[in-house]
Amino acid sequence: MGEVEEEEASMVGLDQLPSALLATIMVKLDVSSICSVGSTCKTFRHCASHVLSFIPTIHLLEIAPSIELLRPLLPPNPLMRSLKMDCDRLNDSAIRLLVRPSLHELHLHNCADFSGKLLSEIGSQCGDLKSLYLGSVAENRGRALHVSDLEELLSGCTQLEALFLMFDVSIFIRHNFARAWALASTKLTSLEIGYISSVMITELLHPNLEPPHIQPSVLPRIQKLSLSVDYITDAMVGTISRGLLSLTHLDLRDAPIIEPRLTFDLTNSGLQQINQHGKLRHLSLVRSQEFLVTYFKRVNDLGILLMADSCANMESIYLGGFCRVTDTGFRTILHSCSSLCKLRVAHGTLLTNLVFHDIRATSLSLTHVSLRWCNLLTNLGVKNLVSNVDLRVLDLRDCKSLGDEALRAIGTLPKLKILQLDGSDITDMGLSYLRWRVITSLTSLSLRGCKRLTDKGISLLFEGSSKYELQELDLSNIPSISDDGIFSLARARLPILELRLRQCPLIGDTSIMALASMQAREEGWQGSRLRLLDLHNCGGITQLSFRWLKRPYFPRLRWLGLTGSVNRDMVDALARSRPFLHVACHGEELGADPSNRLDDSYMREYEDLDEFEQWLLGGEDSGDNDDDNDDVDDEDVPMEVAEFDAEMEE
Amino acid sequence: MRYLALPLLSQNLTESTARAQTLSLYLQLSLQVSLSQRNESTMSSSSSSLPSCPKKVVTLKSSEGETFEIEEIAALQSKTLENMIDENCADTPIPLPNIKGKILAKVVEYCNKHAEVGVDAESLRAWDAEFVNVENTTVFDYILAANFLEIPTLLDLTCQSVADMIKGKTPAEIEKTFNIKSAFTPEEEEQVRRENQWAFE
Repeated sequence: MGEVEEEEASMVGLDQLPSALLATIMVKLDVSSICSVGSTCKTFRHCASHVLSFIPTIHLLEIAPSIELLRPLLPPNPLMRSLKMDCDRLNDSAIRLLVRPSLHELHLHNCADFSGKLLSEIGSQCGDLKSLYLGSVAENRGRALHVSDLEELLSGCTQLEALFLMFDVSIFIRHNFARAWALASTKLTSLEIGYISSVMITELLHPNLEPPHIQPSVLPRIQKLSLSVDYITDAMVGTISRGLLSLTHLDLRDAPIIEPRLTFDLTNSGLQQINQHGKLRHLSLVRSQEFLVTYFKRVNDLGILLMADSCANMESIYLGGFCRVTDTGFRTILHSCSSLCKLRVAHGTLLTNLVFHDIRATSLSLTHVSLRWCNLLTNLGVKNLVSNVDLRVLDLRDCKSLGDEALRAIGTLPKLKILQLDGSDITDMGLSYLRWRVITSLTSLSLRGCKRLTDKGISLLFEGSSKYELQELDLSNIPSISDDGIFSLARARLPILELRLRQCPLIGDTSIMALASMQAREEGWQGSRLRLLDLHNCGGITQLSFRWLKRPYFPRLRWLGLTGSVNRDMVDALARSRPFLHVACHGEELGADPSNRLDDSYMREYEDLDEFEQWLLGGEDSGDNDDDNDDVDDEDVPMEVAEFDAEMEE
Repeated sequence: MRYLALPLLSQNLTESTARAQTLSLYLQLSLQVSLSQRNESTMSSSSSSLPSCPKKVVTLKSSEGETFEIEEIAALQSKTLENMIDENCADTPIPLPNIKGKILAKVVEYCNKHAEVGVDAESLRAWDAEFVNVENTTVFDYILAANFLEIPTLLDLTCQSVADMIKGKTPAEIEKTFNIKSAFTPEEEEQVRRENQWAFE
């Protein structure tokens, strides 16, 4: 007995390690874990505040801190190199805290309440800055943003290599804007702009002097360009391709509000001009259907053939909205680009199995494949596609003709991490092909809208005591999923962090209880590890669930989706008692980056409409739809209207 | 024999200073020994070629007196041992009074494994993961040993594994995992909870 006690007394506990070693451990943690450790005992509290004064990286994107919360987290720290923050609750008074001369990387999201002073302060203080991301600057009413602020930013940050201006820069007057860019750092290699009109960018890059082989004075060394414009036009694509000599990544996305005219659209000749300097590796041309159902109607196979001619070294291609391109075009891409790793096609209306018919003959080894809204793709095409055994990401959402045979083929992929099969015609039998092998390597699985699945399929999928790596699971819009299915998830002790169960009428209070008491597989965790739970429109949720959504249950939950109409008072009380939990009541998509998940997926809101209703509503702006089944957040509509106004004024 | 000047022991002696002092003591001792040895060897013929000796081995002595042998190549991963080898102090067993026998055995195993050639990164990673898959107290002992012997790879591996055990946990879970007694007064506790409420709910 005495020996055991002696042994215990001599064993070192974590709080008995020397403070230098404790600091070595804590420096490897993220900010919220540091604060969590700092709340346990005096030694750690001291160590945590010490670590915050020399930690090089502070990334806090999961919550939007207020300035009172932020102050203790950002003490004077001469070694701070990288700062990422959600600034939703901050304004100009926080500039002093956020802008530090030692920074090399600064990413500030949701800066709607800041004015242009943020840009000028960054320009004057952060001379060593290499990477800058600014989201939604000065978007709130009454916040001023002048081109002089942009000029100060560009001239001050002389070492800037990557710049992300994720707001509408078309508010700047055109000739002043072009002049500002002449001041930009010559090291700038990566540029992304949230919204710019195609006329502005064409004028910006248009060389001032003849002959055209003289390097433009603006943005000479840009390698990565990512723009969101109003219309992708031939002129713009031509100017970009001619003017930027070192371009390796080109990412263009447009969202027309009216049907584009010939002079304001992409045609075959525009595609022919791509990659004039032969360095392009990644190309992305996407026509979004955010405001209007429209496509690249003036591009057909000829354009793709002309483009593929000069694009033999491409590694990644994303074509969205090319409805007139047939199998010939897509096949040419596969056969000409021998280094292709990532292929994404959205709205490939004429894409069929023939594209992948002889993919084995190529030496391609695709790792990311995304084929959305390709309704002519069937199981045979997928069977040929999975000859690429290195596939890590497979996104076959909204390909309505896919069934169980496709899953049988997918079940052979050894390295698959992300699988998305929304809206396909699979059944429980198909899911069983994923057992034992693919399901143990998957980190993200989406089966939204696969209406033929039942609880049995889900339970069989997660049967057995394998170790799973699944972190995201989407079982929304599956009518037969009930509490039994959720029990099987809890029993399997899946380490899921995000679970979406939108519009599942049979999910009820017992599911919440099961999820709340789900034990993690490893030691030391108490309670659920879920960070995101979406229960929008789940039929069985009653007041009883709210008891299980309060503390101490779901300690790590950051996002919760409920139907606000169920019990408004309780929802408000919950939101008040858990101030750092985002509670969504209007059916918005959840997540830190909902646009990533949306990705033209506003179309998901049409799931409950049958084909006739879809035809009736087709072509209308989704924001105008007042249909009860429509889950689009009404609050989004005024923003779109504001953008319309900006367009009209131009 | 020259007089060894002992440095003053101050009250705030940190571990690194202690180690430096131990090292300097060793150096001075060994300098004595090697000087006398050299005096002897210059007498003998200098043309004798070195026999094809077996791989040089360093002997380490744990706190309980147990000895462990480690090849010189493997020992070079420890900066402390490397310095000793460079200064030719490594011919006698090196006492490590603050490392227990079973910990020292594992550290030797780690150094041997990482000195092997032709091991692919994937299997080495798996081996490392298995190595730190032990009780918390053992991992802390590894950390202290790696710190004392200055083995950066082992220190990084063990500190990372402890950090991974902390990541994402609420304070209650951390207290339970590491058996920490909270020493806050109720007022302090309240203040701490309020300040850090956002990190864990």
